[in-house]
Amino acid sequence: MLDDRLGPLAFPLDRRQFLARAGRTGLAAAALVAARRGRASAESGAPYPEWIPASPKPPKRGGVLTRASAWDPPVIDPRLTQSVGLHQFAALVGSRLVRYAFPDETSSPTDLGLKGDLAESWQSTPDARVWTFKLRQGVKWQNVPPLNGREFVAADVKYCFEAYAKEGAQSFTFQEIEGFETPDKYTVRIHLKTPNVLFPQNVAEPIAVLFSREVLEEDGDLKKRMIGTGPYLLKEHTRKVRVVLARNPDYWDKGRPYVDQYVILSTPDAATRMAAFRTGQSDFIWLASPSEVETVRRTNGDAVVQSYHNSLTPFGVAVAQDRPPFNDVRVRRAVSMAIDRQKQHDTVFEGHGIIGWGVPFMYYTDKQPTLAQLGPWWQYRPAEAKKLLAEAGHPNGFETTLFYYEYFPQMSSQVQLVQQDLKRNLNIDVKITKLDYTTYYGRYAESKWDGMAWGFQSGHAVGLDERTYQYMHSKSTKNFFRVNDPVIDELTSKLRQTPDRAEQRALTKKIVDREFDQVLRMWMPYDNGFLVFQPHVRNGAAGALRRTDGYGASAIARMWLDK
Amino acid sequence: MALVNTRPAVLEADAAVELGRLRALWTTIRRKPLGAVSAALIAALVLTAILADQLAPYDPLAARPEIRLAAPSWEHPFGTDDIGRDVLSRVVHGSRISLWVGLLAVGIGTVAGMLIGLLCGYCEGRTDLVVQRLMDGIQAIPGLVLALAVVSVLRPSTTNAMLAIALVIIPGNSRIVRGAVLSAKQNRYVEAAQAIGCRHPRIILRHILPNVTAPILVIASIWLGNAILIEATLSFLGVGTQPPTPSWGLMLSSTGRAFMEQAPWLALFPGLAISLAVLGFNLFGDTLRDAWDPKLRRN
Amino acid sequence: MYKYAARRLLLAIPVLLLSSLIVFGLMRVMPGDALTALMGESGNIGERELQKIRHDLRLDLPYYQQYGLWLWQLVSLHPGESIFTGEPITTSLGKAIPVTLELTALAMALGLVIAVPIGVLSATRQDTASDYVGRVVAVSGLSLPDFWLGTLVITFAAIWFHWIPAIGYVSFWESPLRNLQQFLLPAAVLGFRLSAATMRMTRSTVLEVLREDYVRTAWAKGLEGRIVVYKHALKNALIPVVTIVGGQLGVLLAGTVVVETIFALPGMGRLTVEAILFRDYPVVQTNVMLVAATLVTLNLLVDLTYAWLDPRIRYQ
Repeated sequence: MLDDRLGPLAFPLDRRQFLARAGRTGLAAAALVAARRGRASAESGAPYPEWIPASPKPPKRGGVLTRASAWDPPVIDPRLTQSVGLHQFAALVGSRLVRYAFPDETSSPTDLGLKGDLAESWQSTPDARVWTFKLRQGVKWQNVPPLNGREFVAADVKYCFEAYAKEGAQSFTFQEIEGFETPDKYTVRIHLKTPNVLFPQNVAEPIAVLFSREVLEEDGDLKKRMIGTGPYLLKEHTRKVRVVLARNPDYWDKGRPYVDQYVILSTPDAATRMAAFRTGQSDFIWLASPSEVETVRRTNGDAVVQSYHNSLTPFGVAVAQDRPPFNDVRVRRAVSMAIDRQKQHDTVFEGHGIIGWGVPFMYYTDKQPTLAQLGPWWQYRPAEAKKLLAEAGHPNGFETTLFYYEYFPQMSSQVQLVQQDLKRNLNIDVKITKLDYTTYYGRYAESKWDGMAWGFQSGHAVGLDERTYQYMHSKSTKNFFRVNDPVIDELTSKLRQTPDRAEQRALTKKIVDREFDQVLRMWMPYDNGFLVFQPHVRNGAAGALRRTDGYGASAIARMWLDK
Repeated sequence: MALVNTRPAVLEADAAVELGRLRALWTTIRRKPLGAVSAALIAALVLTAILADQLAPYDPLAARPEIRLAAPSWEHPFGTDDIGRDVLSRVVHGSRISLWVGLLAVGIGTVAGMLIGLLCGYCEGRTDLVVQRLMDGIQAIPGLVLALAVVSVLRPSTTNAMLAIALVIIPGNSRIVRGAVLSAKQNRYVEAAQAIGCRHPRIILRHILPNVTAPILVIASIWLGNAILIEATLSFLGVGTQPPTPSWGLMLSSTGRAFMEQAPWLALFPGLAISLAVLGFNLFGDTLRDAWDPKLRRN
Repeated sequence: MYKYAARRLLLAIPVLLLSSLIVFGLMRVMPGDALTALMGESGNIGERELQKIRHDLRLDLPYYQQYGLWLWQLVSLHPGESIFTGEPITTSLGKAIPVTLELTALAMALGLVIAVPIGVLSATRQDTASDYVGRVVAVSGLSLPDFWLGTLVITFAAIWFHWIPAIGYVSFWESPLRNLQQFLLPAAVLGFRLSAATMRMTRSTVLEVLREDYVRTAWAKGLEGRIVVYKHALKNALIPVVTIVGGQLGVLLAGTVVVETIFALPGMGRLTVEAILFRDYPVVQTNVMLVAATLVTLNLLVDLTYAWLDPRIRYQ
């Protein structure tokens, strides 16, 4: 649940004293007035809701939804990239077999139930090796050549999944498929190489959109045209300028989508995106911190704010644990205990964040874990850390390096705080290198680097299988943290074969406990953020697993404008 | 006999020229207010850089996140940054980085450019042709693009950024020096010196260098300011100075912009510092030119 | 004259070749890989898949072959496609160049309109208050980083005026009013810098010319002389200014990236810098060569103009 120390109330009171004294300095007068006003309004207002329920009014059709976006799609071929630049709209043009619940179908941001998209129902054999999907009938591809509105059939699924498995960024997910059967037009039977009870979740990922054989065969790739079965047609794609989606008149879900057009404006600069929202050119925006929200509300007092909650953090300190000194669990534990996560969370994220863990907590517990529940090695105990490090043979610390890419400004703050913590508490000298994205990602993904890195695991995937087996199994190519633990290998493999929900939860808890105990991945605090909407936007709420402006974009089919 | 006797006279004349130049500069500074202002700014910058440890009230790297983004106050006259470091201390230490930045980039760029230009101008012929084409080739690539590419190839750091900027400066400098050398070679003194058998290095030192130093110094003073700005832009693009170094450019381009509305002091003070430093360097360049202008024309 | 021109033209070719070598070499030596970046945080960079894409893009050929191939592509005006997006480079250049040209032209126009009169005023009233004010304003234009000024402008336009230009570039032919509205602020930010440099140059060249003997004599002759002086002095003073403006073009082309990023304009600067950051070799190489060729041509034209004006230069 909500951390009860929220926003400005989380600040120690002596900040007021600073502000009072600063009033004497004319230089800071403007800043002071602004800050004070901000403080006042935030204190008088209630904390922002973490869920904005669907509007009870009947939805209006029409209007243009616009958003100033940081991301420009590099390519529109979903086989070639998982970047959010493409997937901020790919799931609106294409569909998947199954999906997660939309905000107007549920009442809580943590609902993980699967719903049918192009599949009406699905089930597996008892050993979870064969999955049968019954497809919705009468679904048509978009009425654009060369498909011209023909019906969507089982053979399309087979073709698409086989193409994904053959090459590209999604191949890993689909390579566990051994074969397909299409006994009739509306039934697809998928045979897996090894049992996997969580297979539908993998298929529900928003990146696994279904594309057509005709386009791939005619064009040779999917870079030039994007045609799907989704609620919107790709009407315009001008690189570095805008993406325009127009309503699909033949969409199978009659009556939806509500909005006529969704326009995504390529706006690389954060200040400009903010200005676009303020002047009404952008209908919703995501902001990281309470103070940013306050500044926007000063000019746009009627903006609607949802306090977003991340169910996991994608980022943490990754160490080269396949070699000294980090292959010694005592060193990892010492480093983890020397970092003051609570302070990072309270200051850098202004109290509105999560302490950090890698698996969405809903899979093994009901409430968001608190720091105390994350185990002994996650607590800030510098004295013990120093003792433990000395035991491991480094009483005077050592030198190491840490490279990162600044995904967002707070990350730089965090990296520097970690550097200071390690130096002060353990005399570990961390040399920081801030890299550009390509250099960072190349080096990180190669997994040959030494020392430390500010590492990540995908920010969008929510399937339990992906988050456990695919990220932590020693043989997985997605194992960026270089976890190599036989207990984890055994547990994650077993998880894929455990159909019973309660048993899944217990097993997941065991996996997470083991991860924390051995400090296999040192997760770091992360923001929760806020989604801010213009007052006329309805049904825009984001679930805890995804943001509506990013991988959760398929929910836009349910949004409408009350204008 | 008369020719031999002119040698000491020539040397004395050169020495007199040098002293006269410095005196002219001092007079100009005294007479023109903008000259005085710029000299004062530069002096302030240099002093701050030298005495940074004494002037800064706190350790520029000591983070106290619990007082992050605090507005300016008596304890922290410039406020605190995103992890609670004292901005005044960081700005003061930043002067060291900026001076280092400017001097290294411009120093290397100027000296290397001068050497190349001297080589080309003096030797002429094939060496000149080839080397000048190389210089043109480098200069044809837009400066920021070249600097960005070079820094990406080397590891991103302040020093490497400076080396990249030096590379951008070299071709222009070499061209100017070459031009000055070419025109100086037509000077009577040089012909005379060659006629009486003066060795090359002496000719270069005594006759050519003095004509060249003036325009070079003027350009260098302006490039000192540019170097600081380019470093800031490289930081904006993500490949410049490394945290936690208190470089003004990094402060301005990262936290300054990210928190522009919540904490405008994060951008205000480093921005002012950059502006004053660049202002000082540029105005000083103007002053140098004003002081030495008649000399330039006469030679 | 023609011999001089021919010689200079011939010399331009090795310059361009050298530039191309430098750019090619630098791009190849940079760490990181466009394909890895493209795959994004998927973790699915199977070696097999990467090999195939690399082979398709001919990135597994030895460097000298890649260089030769690229040179041939340039010369035959078929520069190939972007590694990152697959879009033909001619298409992306065709879209980006008009944006940057318009931005640069507007910035220059704004800059000149402000700079030249102030520069002349400053020179003719040397050491008076207007001179000082002019110079300080000019130098502050040179001292403020573009990205800071741009961010300030866009943030406070939104806060104070509740207005920012419409995001989402439209070309002049589609909608002239909206287009000009979009370019106004970024051109002003760029132009401010340009005007600073130009003003100082104008001031110094006018000062120099005013001190020439023939000018002094004309002054002494009286009012009529003054007009003659203005005409001659300005003409001679403006030639270096033209050079400077030409030189500024190189700086401007590089400097547009910041303004294009902040004001969301899809120009050459943004295209080139983003391509460098993503190691999109073909795009970077082609773009830089295009700019280099433009600069070399401009330099050539300026040199030829000088040679035409001052015969001594031709015989060096």
